[in-house]
Amino acid sequence: MSPMKLCVPGDKLCSTDDCIPGTGVYMRHGYIFSSLAGYVLKKNEGEELPVISVVRETETQLLPDVGAIVTCKVTSINPRFAKVHILYVGSTPLKDRFRGTIRKEDVRATEKDKVETYKSFRPGDIVLAKVISLGDVQSNYLLTTAENELGVVVAHSEAGAQMVPINWCEMQCPRTHTKEFRKVARVQPEYLHA
Amino acid sequence: MAGLELLSDQGYRLDGRKATELRKVQARMGVFAQADGSAYIEQGNTKALAVVYGPHEMRGSRNRTLHDRAVINCQYSMATFSTAERKRRPHGDRKSTEMSLHLKQTFEAAVMTQLYPRSQIDIYVKVLQADGGNYSVCVNAATLAIIDAGIPMRDYVCACTVGFVDETPLADLCFAEESGSSLALALLPRGGQIALLQMDARLHQDHLEALMEAAMTACKGVSKVLDEVVRRHLQEVSVLTGE
Repeated sequence: MSPMKLCVPGDKLCSTDDCIPGTGVYMRHGYIFSSLAGYVLKKNEGEELPVISVVRETETQLLPDVGAIVTCKVTSINPRFAKVHILYVGSTPLKDRFRGTIRKEDVRATEKDKVETYKSFRPGDIVLAKVISLGDVQSNYLLTTAENELGVVVAHSEAGAQMVPINWCEMQCPRTHTKEFRKVARVQPEYLHA
Repeated sequence: MAGLELLSDQGYRLDGRKATELRKVQARMGVFAQADGSAYIEQGNTKALAVVYGPHEMRGSRNRTLHDRAVINCQYSMATFSTAERKRRPHGDRKSTEMSLHLKQTFEAAVMTQLYPRSQIDIYVKVLQADGGNYSVCVNAATLAIIDAGIPMRDYVCACTVGFVDETPLADLCFAEESGSSLALALLPRGGQIALLQMDARLHQDHLEALMEAAMTACKGVSKVLDEVVRRHLQEVSVLTGE
């Protein structure tokens, strides 16, 4: 592979007639400039113009965006909502935890008013959720688990063992065989380890 | 004062430099593994360390979040051993607060904060040895640290402190030369845009033009050196990651 070109912030890369700006670049006066120190990457997306972007080896901090699937850990619950720490955005780990909220009415799609958060999540559960809003000034990210593929993926029972899902609303502890209520995520079979 | 000529007849300054010569700049990026970005810079005898964290969720007062951009939080402090006499109050005194505010304003102009709404970027700069041009060296150190952290910027921010002696602008002042008029300029070199211009001394209006020209030339010189440092660091990192 031909060696990629190094660039630093402020380097003029090309004009907007030649390429479409991607990530790590900005446009000014009809030219595209780099905003990061890294390597220039030109990709042909199939449209008329190639997309030019600047990449670094180490991942820069990613922010959860609306519609992104995030992995979070429940920190506290309350009859109205559950508070979580967002750990991963997609498959990229975050260096720093962001805080999110899953409201009672966003836990599942059906029978929203009859939801009991105590029977859907417990503190310490790992949950897959989707970002619905960045929230306003005071509040955190708003998340939802109102889909079949979203919900609790890993949970520990009161005895301390990792539980096995039975159906969409129950999980069972392998040691004590007690069943506990959770809003379980239906993970695709290929992602489950044997 | 007899014997303390800031500019000799042959055109040499106290440390043997010519009027437009900059001090020797040595810099390293990525000095701390635990911070998102860090840099260490020595400009002559002035040594500064900059550390950047972020962008991360807003800490402290939540009502200061901006819905469309990131908040830049700067803290400037001097080590107690940085000056000739041991410094009593490294943080919180008026000068440090003013410097922190200037750094914040400078970087708000260069960093593309609109890409990170509702988050915070922290820049901490510590002067380890102060021998003139503290603000400028801190700006240069912070630029390198921000580039190390991968936070997008429009351009480098290069700064230099210049003074005026005997009708001649002196570039990159050291501590002894700062007693006269000193002007600090922070520049985005490629576009020639001024991020911050600060001076609190008396200067005749006619000399301002020449002084600013000298400052801009000096900043462009600094930017060349910083550019080399960044490129060298990028190549070293890519060799280590096997690209």
